[in-house]
Amino acid sequence: MAEKLVPVVCPWCSVGCRFYAVSVNGYIRKIEFDYDHPTVNRGKLCPKGVASYQFINSPQRLKKPLKRVGERGEGKFKEISWDEAYRIIAEKIKEIKETYGPEAIAFLASEKITFEENYLVHKLSKALGTNNLDFPGRYCQYSNSPARTAIFGSSAATNPFEDVEKAELIVIWGHNPAETAPVFFGQYIEKAILDNGAEMVVIDPRSTRGHKYASLHIKPYPGTDLAIALAMLNVVISEELYDKEFVQERTVGFKDLKEAVKDYTPEWAEKVSGVPSEDIRKVARLIAGKKTALFVNEGMNQHVNGFELALAIANLIAITGNIGKEGVWSGVFPGAQCGFCAAMSGIAPNKLPTGKLVTDDAARAEVERLWGFEIPDWVGLDLTNMIKEMGAKIRMMYIVGGNIAKSAPNSRWVREQLKKLEFLVVQDIFLTETAEYADIVLPAATWFEKTGTAISAERRVQRTYKAAEAPGEAKPDWLIMVELAKELGLGEFFKYEHPDEILREINSVIPLFKGATPEYLAEHPEGCFFPCSEPGEGTKVLFKSAFKTSDGKAHLQPVKWREPPEMPDEEYPLWLTNFRLVGHWHTMTMSEKSPSLEKRWPDEYVMINPIDAEKYGIRNGDLVKVETRRGSVLVKAEVTEHVREGVIAMPWHWQMNFLTLNETHEKTKMAELKAVAARISRVEE
Amino acid sequence: MEMSKKIFLDYKRCIGCRACEVACEMTHGEARIRVFEFPDLFTVPFNCRHCEKAPCLNVCPTGALFRDEDGAVAFDPLKCIGCLMCAVACPFGIPKLDDENKIMDKCDLCADRRAEGKLPACVSACPTEALSYGDINEVLWNREGKIVANLKSSAEKGEGEKAYIVL
Ligand code: SF4
Ligand code: SF4
Ligand code: SF4
Repeated sequence: MAEKLVPVVCPWCSVGCRFYAVSVNGYIRKIEFDYDHPTVNRGKLCPKGVASYQFINSPQRLKKPLKRVGERGEGKFKEISWDEAYRIIAEKIKEIKETYGPEAIAFLASEKITFEENYLVHKLSKALGTNNLDFPGRYCQYSNSPARTAIFGSSAATNPFEDVEKAELIVIWGHNPAETAPVFFGQYIEKAILDNGAEMVVIDPRSTRGHKYASLHIKPYPGTDLAIALAMLNVVISEELYDKEFVQERTVGFKDLKEAVKDYTPEWAEKVSGVPSEDIRKVARLIAGKKTALFVNEGMNQHVNGFELALAIANLIAITGNIGKEGVWSGVFPGAQCGFCAAMSGIAPNKLPTGKLVTDDAARAEVERLWGFEIPDWVGLDLTNMIKEMGAKIRMMYIVGGNIAKSAPNSRWVREQLKKLEFLVVQDIFLTETAEYADIVLPAATWFEKTGTAISAERRVQRTYKAAEAPGEAKPDWLIMVELAKELGLGEFFKYEHPDEILREINSVIPLFKGATPEYLAEHPEGCFFPCSEPGEGTKVLFKSAFKTSDGKAHLQPVKWREPPEMPDEEYPLWLTNFRLVGHWHTMTMSEKSPSLEKRWPDEYVMINPIDAEKYGIRNGDLVKVETRRGSVLVKAEVTEHVREGVIAMPWHWQMNFLTLNETHEKTKMAELKAVAARISRVEE
Repeated sequence: MEMSKKIFLDYKRCIGCRACEVACEMTHGEARIRVFEFPDLFTVPFNCRHCEKAPCLNVCPTGALFRDEDGAVAFDPLKCIGCLMCAVACPFGIPKLDDENKIMDKCDLCADRRAEGKLPACVSACPTEALSYGDINEVLWNREGKIVANLKSSAEKGEGEKAYIVL
């Protein structure tokens, strides 16, 4: 049987690499590189992209709907038919709505399903009368995103990746793109540095893969980056290095900002962060003096004080004029291939698909007119509060492609909470740790088994096409939504037979995507940059003449120092942070089912500096217990200079979240996923 | 004259992502390129050098190893008897025993892919261009050109001794 090359978007990170799935008889045999189109990846792929044909064919894929027969979390299920599954779910939804009202039901959409599918999850939740809607991305960009929205009116990437090659300075702050977005690193960052002579600065408590290119590496304690950012603002303002014309013409609030940061000297920041004041000055002067591409990610986002840190950094970008022109870059950098698909279809407890607020009467009326049903006007719960309220305000949860038993902070707590739900539906490709707590598990098709739209970190909207049949009775998420809606008596609002029809509806409902039609995207595999209001290339550089704020100016925000919620003390004397490995993905649902990845990145471990190792009598390879106030895990120790003294670090894919803290920021609801107090001790084997 | 096509390794660009290994494994079932990692985070990918005066080819008693039209040291699995004389002779330890088929296994510069006009799998994947494929002298002239351009721009910036350091 002949091989068929089907063009697809990569199912892992947000770089948006394209390649071909090589399908034979509806079965994906391997991948082939796309050197035929002007893609973002220029043909290249990282190991995950290459191995992405593997998990699809895993014998562990879910193939039939399952009904729980054992205790919650025990993982005992029996297979049932789709009809029965839909019937049970519809009955339960009805019962819970009648008993507690629709506000007892919560939905989680996902950064791993298509744009169209996120849109349908959103539509179904509102059709059922609930605004309890969120996605696991809550723990991803929700420091940087609200901060940049407050200052610039929009949080998305300011420039396409090609502009990174033109930057004079690359700042990598709490980000590890050489490992988490290797194609982006190799094709854009390395080229800026090695071929075009840009300088690079890294801010991270660990040495990361890319740090060999850095002229300066500063290593704050986790969670204290805010002190450094405040001190940089202090230096840029007190030494008058800011872009005076830009500040004058394109920003408001400079005086308040200046006042707010006047006492945060580099000497003060040195005491808090452990970074020499001279280094802080050096970096501040570099950012003020050079065209800067500044990359931040989870090392910056995943803190309770991440919002303040994001504000401080966005202020710094604004006053140094590193925005609204070519050769610079800043913005959110979602982890997953479809983080933007969830965010841009309004997956949030307070949003409409148009991105406007549910509390905005006119905006709600507009969507009600388009959708044809009433939309609730109250602000729902965010993910952490959904978990907190399980068994209380929240009685039922419907989770599409999310593994919160592992990805949310304080896993033991999350799992206890999951048991309190009256009804849990999990729709996924594997029986995840979360699915083990479900009453009904629905088998979903994987990324290569359906057509749909993805949105990359540089705002590139691209189409991916169906290359294989789903195994057994598994179905694409969009189809499950459509069929369930029918069972619920909502069929008239979900009359779709193909993802193209859903995308056409999105084209008419969400103005930013008006031009991203199925036809345009089919003709242009490289996609368009949103906002793409008309079919065409879209908007490559944002904010060239105005910001997206009410008056078009950047609204500088005064920021104050805020301590992390938990700091090392006598009992738990070390900072514990975490990081990612290139060969794994989030909670490993897909990567651990990919033999080429699993065998190269088989185990978790904890990095500890030789000075600390000596203090606690730990040698390389020892089995150790890493403990926080939430729990403990046993791992092997790696004694290494690549983590600074006073800090231990683990990859997060395995058990890390048994140790993190479920305390959240009052506004953004971001939890403390990156910096907690810990202790470590040797265990006799 | 026949061209000599090779995979050139630019260690400076490598970030140790191992996409090359996975791509080779996808194509041949087993990775014939390996990324070696050193304690300073330095990573070096290494595969068969397809030597111009290949010792393996010279000692192969059955003629299983031969040089193909692109200059690759390729092999005919039907002729190989698994004596691994090639492994004894190779200065880098490249030929390995294929446990399953009991014959030698080594990089053939992806002969099947080249026949279809494609790049070797590892080169296709490598996100950083640490691996590049082509006529070796062309690759080297490009590299020399780049380095000279860098020297010039460093000299202009007055950073004489900071000039691009070649590994
Ligand atoms: S860099 Fe990201 S998008 Fe590209 S191949 Fe790797 S995981 Fe896929
Ligand atoms: S050229 Fe082909 S066979 Fe040789 S190492 Fe690369 S992928 Fe493997
Ligand atoms: S694919 Fe390229 S960058 Fe990655 S390990 Fe191999 S040679 Fe290095």
